Amino acid sequence: MKIRTLIVDDSLFTRKKLQDLLQEIPSIEICGVAKNGEEAIDMAVELKPDFITLDNILPDMTGLQILRVLKDQLTATIFIMISAVGQQSAIKEATDLGAKHYFVKPLDPIAFKETLIEILNSGR
Amino acid sequence: MLKNLGDTELEMATKLIFDGLSMAKSSMEQILQSPISLKKIDYGEEKQLPSVGNETSDPLHVIKTNLIGELRGTSHLIFSEQDVNNICAACLSKDILENDSPENKVMKVGFLTEIDNMVAGAVITEFANKLNLDIYGHVPSLHMVKPSEIEEYFLNESNDYDSIIHFKAIFHGTELDISPDFVWIFPSELVEKIKQQL
Repeated sequence: MKIRTLIVDDSLFTRKKLQDLLQEIPSIEICGVAKNGEEAIDMAVELKPDFITLDNILPDMTGLQILRVLKDQLTATIFIMISAVGQQSAIKEATDLGAKHYFVKPLDPIAFKETLIEILNSGR
Repeated sequence: MLKNLGDTELEMATKLIFDGLSMAKSSMEQILQSPISLKKIDYGEEKQLPSVGNETSDPLHVIKTNLIGELRGTSHLIFSEQDVNNICAACLSKDILENDSPENKVMKVGFLTEIDNMVAGAVITEFANKLNLDIYGHVPSLHMVKPSEIEEYFLNESNDYDSIIHFKAIFHGTELDISPDFVWIFPSELVEKIKQQL
């Protein structure tokens, strides 16, 4: 069964890059793409994806706020953060909230895919 | 009004920005998959508004990032038209470069704001981690500013803040050769935080 994935990022450029990268992983199926926090929460609640990639800085809220809202509703979902924000405090808060990994941009495509495959395999 | 930073605070702010830009350099190397060097960083006195873009008549690409969190402020990454062309040629695929569709235009702007995300993000991270501050860069926005109007732009931007610091960084490599200006406008609280670290 495919891993249904929701991408959350305000940048069209990054959404496209992530879609391209994730589509190279055969087990992943992208079920939705959201460009702000409100869309992300609505889509996540409706689609109940297996896996969500969250940008930390969005126009209307932070990825950490989204994570706080969704983590109790989507207990089976795997969350990862992808952001240019590399503050130790943000990384710690994300992992404390249950994010499986915090990737700081720019993404190294090979390392990103390897880590992702490891996370998804261990979480299934 | 802008006030002077003391020499020691300026030195520390300069070091933090330099360290941040060095991180940004590594990020750019990762994007380009090619080594580049951060050749020179000039920084301007804070009392003076930056003199940017004198050598061109083309509009400047100013990418503004508002700081959010514990302290306010703004960072501005300024690219010339030539820099933008060099960045796009080095980093974007041919199908995006050669096709002027609305989506591709958004992609080009999106790529510039991604670069800003990394450059401003790296500097903000450096300040946040070293000064133990809870600050982040918000979603960046692109402003096209005529060189003749850049002074007025910074005058307006600096109204609510106390200090301004200006860097010119030269990122040089086989794949990319650009020299963006980086301007950070910040409140006196940041200077106080710097003083506490000295």
